[in-house]
Amino acid sequence: MAGVELKNLSKAYGQTEVLHDINLSIADGEFIVFVGPSGCGKSTLLRMIAGLEEITGGELLIGDARANELSPKQRDIAMVFQSYALYPQMTVAENMGFSLSLEGKSKAEIAEKVQEAADALQLGPYLDRKPGQLSGGQRQRVAIGRAIVRKPKVFLLDEPLSNLDAALRSETRVEISELHQRMETTMIYVTHDQVEAMTMADRIVVLNGGCIEQVGSPMDLYNNPASEFVAGFIGSPKMNFIKGPQATAVGATTLGVRPEHFEVGPSDGAWAGKVALVERLGHDTVLYVHAEDAGALTVSLSGQHQQQVGDTVYLKPRPEFIHKFDQNGRPITM
Amino acid sequence: MARKWILLFILGVIAVLMAAPLVLTVFTSLKPTTELVNPAWYPPRDMTFEHYLRVWTEGGFSRYFANTLIISAVDAVVMIAIASLAAYAMVFMEFRGKMLLQLLFVLGLMIPVTAVVLPLFQIVRSMGLLNTHLGVILADLALAVSVFVFMFTSYFAGVPKALHEAARIDGATEFQIYRRVVMPIATPAVVTTALLEFLWSWNDLLLRLLIMTREEMRTLSVGLLNFQGTMTRDVTGLSSGTVIMAIPVVLLFLVFQRSFVRGMTAGAVK
Repeated sequence: MAGVELKNLSKAYGQTEVLHDINLSIADGEFIVFVGPSGCGKSTLLRMIAGLEEITGGELLIGDARANELSPKQRDIAMVFQSYALYPQMTVAENMGFSLSLEGKSKAEIAEKVQEAADALQLGPYLDRKPGQLSGGQRQRVAIGRAIVRKPKVFLLDEPLSNLDAALRSETRVEISELHQRMETTMIYVTHDQVEAMTMADRIVVLNGGCIEQVGSPMDLYNNPASEFVAGFIGSPKMNFIKGPQATAVGATTLGVRPEHFEVGPSDGAWAGKVALVERLGHDTVLYVHAEDAGALTVSLSGQHQQQVGDTVYLKPRPEFIHKFDQNGRPITM
Repeated sequence: MARKWILLFILGVIAVLMAAPLVLTVFTSLKPTTELVNPAWYPPRDMTFEHYLRVWTEGGFSRYFANTLIISAVDAVVMIAIASLAAYAMVFMEFRGKMLLQLLFVLGLMIPVTAVVLPLFQIVRSMGLLNTHLGVILADLALAVSVFVFMFTSYFAGVPKALHEAARIDGATEFQIYRRVVMPIATPAVVTTALLEFLWSWNDLLLRLLIMTREEMRTLSVGLLNFQGTMTRDVTGLSSGTVIMAIPVVLLFLVFQRSFVRGMTAGAVK
């Protein structure tokens, strides 16, 4: 096990710099998630840590030792790929034991460690199968098994759930979190799905345009976003942004109100709007409202409500949860 | 329905045209000399293997067969090794001069064999390798390597990059990745290379005529010329020799047909 430190890390392809001055300290045993939109550089950053991409500038430390020039093997890391990247000609057991066989471990030792990992991931019955004979979820578990069998210092996971269907995704999400709790190994996880980030991470790193926008615990990011971008990226349904007179009246360029921070009530002083769409989720009711003063708003009401398309509703943001942003998208502290 | 019959008829005609020379050759090789006055398409009435025996012993075909087998087998095996290693480097590794090397290989595809045969002969002679198996093998490899590097490159390009990366993370060296990860999934390309190179080497005449001038070093294709003089022609000997020469290639193709077709069509569709 080891911590990871990124010091002024940068990456350029020719003249084009895609990652700028990344500074981050990841504690030993921490579960950290890189999140951001497509093209923000999160996978590139992970691949730089893995040793699959050359580091153009700055320094990478794994367990206090400089790792810039080390090969992936020397870094003692394991990686789970989005595409699983299982060796198609090998059985599940051979896939999982491949790294150990390269280390020259005895067959008995390999078999024991593979069995141990397979038991942890309920892969016991599939050890003699080839990857082509497994379902997507089973393949992903084999990919994770291949990583854990080595007991590396750091686990890297590159969008490991994005090829799974929704039900399997949430199931595997829980399995990975439990695995992390059991193994207490540093895990760095890349995703574009903020729900995965919020539910799994000790800390989230939000990346945008090759820069770190904010680092913090999921609730930190949710409650105190460091920018309009983070505020919009974290949370589902996403935060409403209101510009115009409502914002300028309180000295801001943009007001941010999360969908669950609206009160629906009487008309006095509230924003009137027409319901354009209703999503009934059972535990929540989500209204898409066209407000005359505030534009298109998403409102999330706890529980089941009777509003219909075409109804007029009066919305009042709860003042203690209003976020104010200046013209640069930075929060205005009160 | 009518279209189907027309199609079947056309295919039948093509099949007969393709098979006829082979069938006639087999017929002739099995006919006693007395039956040679009959038209060629008459099947043999008193089938005999005497011509095969004559060609194999007196005609020196046992030696020619061994020479051809050694050269073709070594050609095929070495070609697989060389072409796959070169293609692996082209696809999976980054190094200075890679583009130039790729260009050179493409250039190799464009130059006709006849244009380089004489320089190649000079090189083999200057190396003192005339009338040696090694001389012909080196010349064969030099002539065909571009084709097979190109074929392996196309095949390897279809191997997901993530597999290579996963193996690197697992701690494999480039050679271990080549041997344990990439080559086992390149069976169709390996079989196709083996078959094609074996076939080309087996059937080649020009290089062998130039390089293998001594009688005991001849290959089957050169040996066949023994039966064809300026004024005379030993038709039965020629036919039996041709069949002897064709049998191994036909057998190989029948055994590896499926992998061969897969290799030839690799990358054709997603």
